[in-house]
Amino acid sequence: MFRFNRNMVWIQAFFFIGTAGSVVAEDGESAALFTRRIKPLFREKCLACHGEDKEAKEGGFDLRSLQTAAHGGDSGAPGVVPMHPEQSSVYLAVSRSEDAFSAMPPKESESLTSEELGWLHDWIDSGAVWPSENEQVAIRSQYENEWSQEDGVRVQTSGGLSDSWTNRNYDPEGLWAYQPLQELTIPETDENPIDGFIEAALPEGLRVAPPASRRDLIRRATFDLTGLPPTPEDVKTFINDEHGDKDAFRVVVERLLSSPHYGERMAQHWLDVVRYADSSGFANDFERGNAWRYRDYVIRAFQDDKPYDQFVREQIAGDEISPDNPEHLVAVGFLRQGPWELTSMEVPRVARQRFLDDVTNSVGETFLAHSLQCAKCHDHKFDPVPTRDYYSIQAVFNTTQLVERQADFLPKENQDGFDEERFLRKMEKGFLELQEEMDEVVQQNALNWFESQFEEADPDRKQEVLDTQSKWKQAVAKAAKNMKSGAFQRARSQLMQQGIVQNDLPPLRVGLTPRQNGMQRVANKGLQRLKWEFDRYKPFALSVYSGSTPTYNKVLAPLRMPKSSSKGVLEQMYIRTGGDPFAEGDPVSPGVLSVLADQVSAAIPETPEGRRKAFAEWVTDPNNPLVSRVMVNRIWQWHFGKPIAGNPNNFGSTGGLPSHPKLLDYLAATFMENSWSVKDIHRKIMLSEVYRRSSTHPDPDGLAEKDAEGRLLAVFEPRRLSAEEMRDSMLAISGELNCDVGGVPCRPEINEEVALQPRQVMGAFATAWVPNPRPEQRHRRSLYVLKLRGVKHPMLEVFNSPTPDFSCERRESSTVAPQALSLFNSKNSYDRSLALAQRVWTESSNETGHRDMWAVRRIYELVLCREPQPEELEQALRSWRSVEASLPEKARPDSKVPLTASREAVEEFSGKRFMYDEVLYANQEFEPDLQPNDVDRHVRALGDICLVFLNTNEFVYVY
Amino acid sequence: MPHMNRRESMFRIGTSLGSVAFASLIADEAKAMEAPGPLAPKPVHLPAKAKNCIFLTMTGGPSHIDTFDPKPTLKKLHLQEFTRSGETKSAMESGKRYYVQSPFSFHQHGESGALMADNWQHLARVADDLCFFRGCQVDSVNHPTAMYQMNCGNRFGGDPAVGAWVTYGLGSENSNLPGYVVLPEVSDPQGGAPNWGNGYLPAFYQGTPLRPTGSPILNLSPPPGVTASRQRQNLDLLKAMNQRHAALHPQHDELAARLESYELAFRMQTEIPNAIDMSEESQKTLDAYGVGREETDAFGRKCLLARKLVEKGVRFVQLYNGGWDSHDYIERAHGNRVQSVDQPIAALIEDLKARNLLESTLVVWCGEFGRSPDNGVRGGVAYGRDHNPDAMTIWLAGGGSNAGHTIGATDETGMTAVEDVHHIRDFHVTLLRLLGLDDNKLTYYHAGRFKQLSQFGGKVINKLLA
Repeated sequence: MFRFNRNMVWIQAFFFIGTAGSVVAEDGESAALFTRRIKPLFREKCLACHGEDKEAKEGGFDLRSLQTAAHGGDSGAPGVVPMHPEQSSVYLAVSRSEDAFSAMPPKESESLTSEELGWLHDWIDSGAVWPSENEQVAIRSQYENEWSQEDGVRVQTSGGLSDSWTNRNYDPEGLWAYQPLQELTIPETDENPIDGFIEAALPEGLRVAPPASRRDLIRRATFDLTGLPPTPEDVKTFINDEHGDKDAFRVVVERLLSSPHYGERMAQHWLDVVRYADSSGFANDFERGNAWRYRDYVIRAFQDDKPYDQFVREQIAGDEISPDNPEHLVAVGFLRQGPWELTSMEVPRVARQRFLDDVTNSVGETFLAHSLQCAKCHDHKFDPVPTRDYYSIQAVFNTTQLVERQADFLPKENQDGFDEERFLRKMEKGFLELQEEMDEVVQQNALNWFESQFEEADPDRKQEVLDTQSKWKQAVAKAAKNMKSGAFQRARSQLMQQGIVQNDLPPLRVGLTPRQNGMQRVANKGLQRLKWEFDRYKPFALSVYSGSTPTYNKVLAPLRMPKSSSKGVLEQMYIRTGGDPFAEGDPVSPGVLSVLADQVSAAIPETPEGRRKAFAEWVTDPNNPLVSRVMVNRIWQWHFGKPIAGNPNNFGSTGGLPSHPKLLDYLAATFMENSWSVKDIHRKIMLSEVYRRSSTHPDPDGLAEKDAEGRLLAVFEPRRLSAEEMRDSMLAISGELNCDVGGVPCRPEINEEVALQPRQVMGAFATAWVPNPRPEQRHRRSLYVLKLRGVKHPMLEVFNSPTPDFSCERRESSTVAPQALSLFNSKNSYDRSLALAQRVWTESSNETGHRDMWAVRRIYELVLCREPQPEELEQALRSWRSVEASLPEKARPDSKVPLTASREAVEEFSGKRFMYDEVLYANQEFEPDLQPNDVDRHVRALGDICLVFLNTNEFVYVY
Repeated sequence: MPHMNRRESMFRIGTSLGSVAFASLIADEAKAMEAPGPLAPKPVHLPAKAKNCIFLTMTGGPSHIDTFDPKPTLKKLHLQEFTRSGETKSAMESGKRYYVQSPFSFHQHGESGALMADNWQHLARVADDLCFFRGCQVDSVNHPTAMYQMNCGNRFGGDPAVGAWVTYGLGSENSNLPGYVVLPEVSDPQGGAPNWGNGYLPAFYQGTPLRPTGSPILNLSPPPGVTASRQRQNLDLLKAMNQRHAALHPQHDELAARLESYELAFRMQTEIPNAIDMSEESQKTLDAYGVGREETDAFGRKCLLARKLVEKGVRFVQLYNGGWDSHDYIERAHGNRVQSVDQPIAALIEDLKARNLLESTLVVWCGEFGRSPDNGVRGGVAYGRDHNPDAMTIWLAGGGSNAGHTIGATDETGMTAVEDVHHIRDFHVTLLRLLGLDDNKLTYYHAGRFKQLSQFGGKVINKLLA
């Protein structure tokens, strides 16, 4: 049920029974045990299927009274045999040991704990006394004080859907996150309190690893703060710095914190949590043309060390705080990060509720480390979060409306590459022409249709056909004057309105071949999708406003601000019983997590405006014990790979407890004292001894024994580079990385199989992934790669870049064979390797001595941040010579990018396949990366050596 | 608790980490298969016949009314106005609507007398091997959300696909091939790759699409012009550098796993082309599957490949066939779709049977929802049907399913399931049960709770079991 310290409770339970026996009779003991333990246990684990629903009792078994329980279910075996637990089917089923009875409860994750089994055993053993409701009340009041101390604590909330939930007890251990930050006394002598807290938690006899080498440390720090490797010059400067280790490192940390890549790296972490993507997912996966401005806002916030509380408030309520500040209109893009769409296939209320559920949970996970969705259909099973709170928080967002609203570009926003709009214009032109062509065809077909109608018609009807045909011609001509496309449909529906029956008019799409039908869909869909893509270059923000909910049945183009925010329905909030979007349970008002009400209160207005602002103030109130802990816990994980509290998105009782609670509170308090400065926390962490430890421990056996879970930080745990770090580092090392910050998403080259893979969107197909034409546009950091929910960048995906479906609190880094295929075989790896080879070869041109040797040394410096040993140098040179000898003088012809993509698809009206060519406009201007034919055989061979370097473990892991 | 042990790394491999000697180029595959690893074979929860699953996914929503669940009443009601009661769930329910009869005629087949539309000429031969289920219902009227629900249990995506769960539960019999293979349609379905994603399960369990053209698995081969010997040379230098590095970092046990993953990748370069090579198949077999005939070639190849993969020990193979969304012209559109899959599927079942594989291979045929008995009659003569989450037909074959029976029924018009009505979650639980897995045990901790395919638990549909 809760996270009890099992042994402790077990002993207490026996203790209670033992002592109670001297006060009450044997019967009383059994009755008390029933009241205290068994009744709640049945309610929680059994009654949903064995009593509550009078219609459906699983296995015919009813646990609502001793009589029915004793009778048992369909199996015929008695459920409860007083004094004989081993003959009672209830006991046998829950102990999951007898094959004769299905294991109960069915879900293994809900099995009874050993102490719960003990209670049930002892209750039956002691006579299975089942006191009446009144007797239970009496027993409860008799023991109230004693029990409440032993059974955990009562927690005040806004109240559950049932009294039993409202009055339940909690193990205090699982409530740690709601406690105010501990007042800590830091000894004055402690230079960095972090080390004091870590040391205090080390078991006796566990040694700590020595400091890391300067080479390891600068590589670690540079990747941690920028996601890029240090340059050879950075490494040399640090290694040769004559100051003490800590002072020399302090200089490195300061330099990195002010690097323009710092903000990018932190933004990547943040975007993992908020599920950033450039498209909306589901049936259409329309592009979110303005999402990149939110991404850049996040980069700026970290880069400028925006106080975290302000950062939070702007993301929740920027538009309410300062509606005229474009920066703030962009910031609330946070609320729009979940996948969402409204097609005409779905009723608007359902889609609206989906947004509300998404935003409620997202705010909970991101800022409060509470997965609020657990309380959507029922009161939270484990934590003091009632469903009432869920819908009260949701009521805060009840007046939040989706909009792509005007927000002028700021001078600090990167507007490079806007000229690429020309490719979209070309596509648009192509689609319009296609539409026109299909219009002509279908209009001609209509005329042919009339002719054949005329021929086939009975003589007395022929004039009628001619009349209709002439009306038709007029209607089409009239419609064509007013519209670019669709005159056929317009004419048809007008004539039908005039009373001409459907059968006397040409059918829709008359005479179109499967291919023509398909092409018409492709054109219509293409134009619809372009509306979203053009938005990239327009001064609009993926944003929200507060007001009534407007009425629309579908959203097929970006939503602009309505003339009045009060148009539509001012939604009332109810508890949506059972999570049903149409249910109207108790009405609720905008509110907060009620379990924290005694620490920080909130006054949230009922007016459409201002709810989010007040809520954001509550979230960031210094007395709110969650928000600061949640953020410092994340920052800690960004450095050590593991958080202090086990689940950064879940501080509830099912999340991991903090390994170092005092450290967490110290960091949280310090964070707030220093104006919520994230950079300040980095400084504190990185200048600690624990961060600067080596990843090699002097006593691995002792470490394994004394810190089996690896949470005590006696040694620094190595990590694999993340997907983005790997791709970005390769570009940085090869000298190709475009270091610009921010701007419209970029499209690097990806495997052609993926780029040209047709994908279905509602009614047609999405267009292909076409890379940016110029290398410097493609070679941007991975953070800027267009992130479509429907197309994943293959390399980033295979190296565990998370999907934007769920918030990612921590990256996975499993090693799978497709990673080896990607890094060792891909065109991307070969291209980077060749560029690196060419870079070092060019740089070596002034070298008077052994040029090859210089080049290999340089590769060691660039890729591995160190000098080679003599035998390493010799080995690389030998391999280089040997590869070169095996290469032909001339490279194979370079690959060319396709100018069209051949599309094959099934056309729905006919169920037949059809083919068409999609023009890839941007490829017409494509400038390739450095290709094998651009360099001589010597450099080509060196490219292979570089490829190996980029695949080594030494490059891929950070120590 | 919530996180994977970082040591559980490697794709379908096997070697015990830390003690990996550097495997020779031609590795001892049998040995690799025995050793523990995330994809090593695992014991079942419950005894079961099915060891593998071939999942035939017809995207767009095949009409039960026009395939396996005939509704003669619709003949009488044809083009009569249709009114719907209850709350509107979709815009497809608005406007003037009419009942539409099926353009297909039906007959009974086999000893079981299974009803099938006449254009299933080939499948009719194996009618007695099929178990039709007409009682399934889903929650969504939209393609991507319904697809997600059929594939992953959760309408909104992001959860592991059925194939990922099964591979997670059972492991794989062949350490050199992925445990869960997807044979996609030329175009990705709505909702895309998350339909075969691993969700919150570790990446080992992700569906691996084998592409019919281009490189079957991405980057399976180096760029053109790179010879095997040159690649081997590079791999040797890499191995030497990694060995030297490992000696300096004896405590870092991921290094060996990563090194081994390169050797495995190199082996896959030959293993996968072998696995998908059709040249050893006889002309008779190719003809039986319809390979080489325009209408059936694409799906015939997939069905044949599915059999080959199952033979090689791949646990779960999912085949896609698109284009079943016949809002209009159902006779033409469904007719062509049926033609493209009928012969290949029948051949697959006969072939599995002939090789004694049908008993251990569960075959599932389904769409994401069924279709409505009514239509807006767009265009006047272009009768079709709209989406219907309340009724659909799924059929099973082999793997301990209840061959020769039709379970459940829909109402007179095919509007909604009325007998043996089960939510899709129960179907998922049943599918796992047929493979020896207990949905209540097959769980994974994520976002604060133990999650499972059925979302919150479900019941086995016993009538679908033999």
